[in-house]
Amino acid sequence: MTQEMQIESYLTALRYHLGPLTIGEREEIVLEISAHIRDSAEEPGASIASVLAGLGPADKLAAQYRDGLLIRQASRSISPLLLLRATLRLATKGIFGIFVFCCAILGYSSGVVLVFAALAKPFFPANTGLWLQDGRFVDSGVLHFPPPAPPSHEVLGMWLIPLALTLGSLTLLLTTWAIRASLRLSQRLQSKLCISAAASVKAGI
Amino acid sequence: MANMRATPADDDQPDRWEAQLRKGALEMAALASLWKGRLYGLEIIRFLERHSRLVLAEGTIYPILNRLKTEGMLTSEWVEAEAGHPRKYYSLTDAGRKRLRLMAEAWVSFSQGLSQLLEPVMDTKEISQ
Repeated sequence: MTQEMQIESYLTALRYHLGPLTIGEREEIVLEISAHIRDSAEEPGASIASVLAGLGPADKLAAQYRDGLLIRQASRSISPLLLLRATLRLATKGIFGIFVFCCAILGYSSGVVLVFAALAKPFFPANTGLWLQDGRFVDSGVLHFPPPAPPSHEVLGMWLIPLALTLGSLTLLLTTWAIRASLRLSQRLQSKLCISAAASVKAGI
Repeated sequence: MANMRATPADDDQPDRWEAQLRKGALEMAALASLWKGRLYGLEIIRFLERHSRLVLAEGTIYPILNRLKTEGMLTSEWVEAEAGHPRKYYSLTDAGRKRLRLMAEAWVSFSQGLSQLLEPVMDTKEISQ
C-alpha cells in the first residue's frame, strides 16, 4: 500500500466513524487530521505509519469527537431517546453516570405509566385505578384484569385522569430537566476534578 | 513534575483517575499554549512537548480543541500554507482567556496547598523507616 493510500484509508475510516456528526463538521475534522498527517510526515525521522500510530485507531479518534457531541447535544435536547443514549454513555464513565441512568429510567417509566393510566381510564374504568378496602390500600394498576374483588373498591374514579395526567407530565418534565442538568453538571465536574487531580500530580503524588 | 503520557486509548488504561487527570491537564495546557497567539494543531502539540513535559499522543488534542471551540473558548480559521494544504489555526476568545485565568489560579492555589500537605508523604526517609 502506498503512503497516499494509507492516508486515504485512514481518513475514509475516520469519516465513516464520525457518521453522527453533520457533513460540515465531519469534513472539517477530516481536513484537519489530513493536514496533521501531512505536516507530521514531513518532520525528520517521521513516517506515515508512525504518524497514524500516534493518532491512534480511526474509530477511537472518532469516538472522542462523538462522545462529547452526544452529551452536549443531549444537554440541550428534550428528546427522551437522545437523553437516554447520553445517560447510557455517561453510565460507562463512572458511578455518577450509572446513578443518572437509573434515575432516568425510573423517571421516564413512572411518567409513561401515569400518562398511560390517564389514557386507559376512559376505556377500562373498572380495571384502572387505586383500590382500597376499609380505608387501607389494596392494589393499584393499569389494565388490571380481573380487578380486585369487592368489598375493595376503586376510589379515584374519573379524577384519576387529570391527576395521573398532571403527575405523569410533571414526572416526565422533571426527569428531562434533571437529566439535562446532570449532563451539564457532569461536564463541569469533569473539568473541575481534572484540574484538582492534575494539581495533585504537580504537587508530587 | 511527573512526565505524563496521554494515549488515545485512555479507556484501556488501568487507572481511570490518571486518565481523567491527563485529559484535564490537556485542556488547560491547550488553552495555555494559545495565550500568546494563534497556533495550529501540530504546533500546539510541539509547543506542549517543549514547554510542559506533557508528552502527547497526537490524536488526543484534536477532540479537545474541537470541544473547546464548541464551548466558545476558542475560535478557528483556515489559513492556506506553503505546504500546499490549509491549516486550522486556533485562538483564544475572551471567554477562553477568562477561563484559563481561573484554571491557572485554581491550579496554583490547589498545588500550593497540596504541596504542604504532601511534604511528609514525600519524605523518603520517613517511607524507608
